[in-house]
Amino acid sequence: MPTDSAAVRLTDLRLERGGRAVLDGIDLVVPRGSVTAVLGPSGSGKSTLLAALTGELEPAAGTVEVLGAPLPRNKRALLELRQGIGVLLQGNGLLTDLTVAENVGLPLRTHTDLPEPVIRRLVEMKLHAVGLRAAADAFPRELSGGMARRVALARALALDPPLMIYDEPLTGLDPIASGVIMSLIARLNASLGLTSIIVTHHVHETLPVADRAIVIANGRIVFSGTPAELEATADPLVQQFLRGEPDGPIAFDAATRTEVDLAEPA
Amino acid sequence: MSVRGPRLEFAVGAFLLLALASLLVLAIASTNGKFGFGHSTYPLKARFTNLGQLRTSAPVKIGGVTIGNVADIQLDPSKFDAIVTLAIDSRYKDLPTDTSAGILTGGLLGDSYIGLQPGGDVETLKPGEEIGFTTPAVDLMQMVGKYMFSGGGKPAADADTSTNPPPPENTP
Amino acid sequence: MPLITATRSLGRAGLFSLSVLRASKPTGDFWRELTREIYKIGARSLPIIVVGGAFVGLVLTLQGYRTLSRFGATNSLSTLLGLSLYRELGPVLTALLFIGRAGSSIAAELGLMRATDQITALGLMGIDPVAKAVAPRFWAAVICVPLLTAFFCSLAIGASYLEAVHVIGLDAGYFWSALKDSVDFVDDYCVAFLKSAVFGGTAALVAAYVGYHAEPTIEGTSIATTRAVVNASLLVLMFNFVLSALLFRS
Repeated sequence: MPTDSAAVRLTDLRLERGGRAVLDGIDLVVPRGSVTAVLGPSGSGKSTLLAALTGELEPAAGTVEVLGAPLPRNKRALLELRQGIGVLLQGNGLLTDLTVAENVGLPLRTHTDLPEPVIRRLVEMKLHAVGLRAAADAFPRELSGGMARRVALARALALDPPLMIYDEPLTGLDPIASGVIMSLIARLNASLGLTSIIVTHHVHETLPVADRAIVIANGRIVFSGTPAELEATADPLVQQFLRGEPDGPIAFDAATRTEVDLAEPA
Repeated sequence: MSVRGPRLEFAVGAFLLLALASLLVLAIASTNGKFGFGHSTYPLKARFTNLGQLRTSAPVKIGGVTIGNVADIQLDPSKFDAIVTLAIDSRYKDLPTDTSAGILTGGLLGDSYIGLQPGGDVETLKPGEEIGFTTPAVDLMQMVGKYMFSGGGKPAADADTSTNPPPPENTP
Repeated sequence: MPLITATRSLGRAGLFSLSVLRASKPTGDFWRELTREIYKIGARSLPIIVVGGAFVGLVLTLQGYRTLSRFGATNSLSTLLGLSLYRELGPVLTALLFIGRAGSSIAAELGLMRATDQITALGLMGIDPVAKAVAPRFWAAVICVPLLTAFFCSLAIGASYLEAVHVIGLDAGYFWSALKDSVDFVDDYCVAFLKSAVFGGTAALVAAYVGYHAEPTIEGTSIATTRAVVNASLLVLMFNFVLSALLFRS
């Protein structure tokens, strides 16, 4: 059993895509039971980081430790590990030909030998946790964006994984649906004792829920700390990102990359 | 899919049943139903001076009924006539030794086939033996030419080795 | 160099096809998916096949009669119909119609699965996406295209009979007996359905390959659908020639 209290530990990680370094020199510790927000501008490599956590992308250098053990190379061991990680993908990934209940039950039917009635009860419980027990027999295309996202969340929780990863969970949702998802993430994290990592650029909806925040830009981590520390930081790049200013260290005009005076109020 | 569970299975089952039924109907109503010549065959040979349009796999018939096919066609390098190997169904193994073989066509535009005319001999042809009496294929154009340029009305005595070329048969 | 990239593409497609065959395991889930796919690509293609078959039969009869009557050979009409239908038109036209209707939907569905992260999700859940999404569609196509060809030929012959006998006025008994006499069970009938199975498998593999590897965007899915139909159609026509040349004896 792992003695490490960190759910995820990245040490001097370097990730490449197509021969080009996307992230370099990444050191990160995610404590168990915390909600960590991974923020950053588009294309900064947030999704690449997630791919490294699930074992989809092998590191070019450095180590990835998940749930106390380094990522295995062996396919069977990787499969075992993935059952302990719940992933909520940006596109939801709900199978179009299966009903909501069948989708949520898919991991259970694949990886466990539980009898049918037990699986049905478990599916009901998961759907109830996200407030969608009534939609059990609907098909994904009949659901609204927010409801589909919640079903995907229920499915990600099907095997009770200790670690949950959310890839852009608020994309395409209206304010109410966003609020529902974020409150679900917070509540489930607390009540089930999960560790959650949320990759997002919806800063203001995510920070209230997060215990820790890191900001990734230019291939490195430029900030790591609590949300309060994040709001108070003096780093101009982070400030531009937080305030949503069109021009700053990330230049409006893509040709120039020099620092610009941030004299103008938002 | 808005079609689910039992309805889906019924639809697929009905589709499969209908398809198999149509396969069966097609097989019966539109094919000759020959599941391949499962029966064994024995070879007979025959020599012809002119094959006409005869090809391998052409049928061998007695009185219009197919009893075998042409298995092989070779040219004799010394006598320069064609040696045809016939594969005859083993059910018809008692062909008299004075059986004659001719190359016939089914109608003006039809394919060539070999027609056998059994004789009356008591002895029978053994597998591998050669049919003694053969008639070559009739070249229609040659005949028409001879007819036209022989003064019309009198077919000229032809220089072929055949006697009495049989009339082309019309097979329905 | 275009030749090298083309060879590598071909190699990738071949490896993909092998992985589809390897991933085809007869589990309970496989049979459920297979049933669903037979409905989606087989039963739902029936309307276009049936209508297509009827009209092809009608026009073959019409054109055949026009030409054969010039030689006084209208007795050969059902022979012409039967042989051209079983040897070429039945398998090929059915396959092309199938590609347009079901091949495009296979490519589109797999492209959509890619774009909505379904394939990634399956991988993360430890389910082989090829086994779950591609293999059932492949086997459904191998089963359905011969069956659809049977429907096509039935409708064509039936429509031809109606036109030849009841409109043109040829003899009914002669129509059927000439047809039965000229169509060989093994060389024409069986070969036709063997070809259909090959075409179905080819179409499904091409469509699945293109859709599975589409760019995960809306544009990517649309490009994949077009490429699937074009490439599958070309391959079917090529394989048709190869099979006809190999299987045609004498």
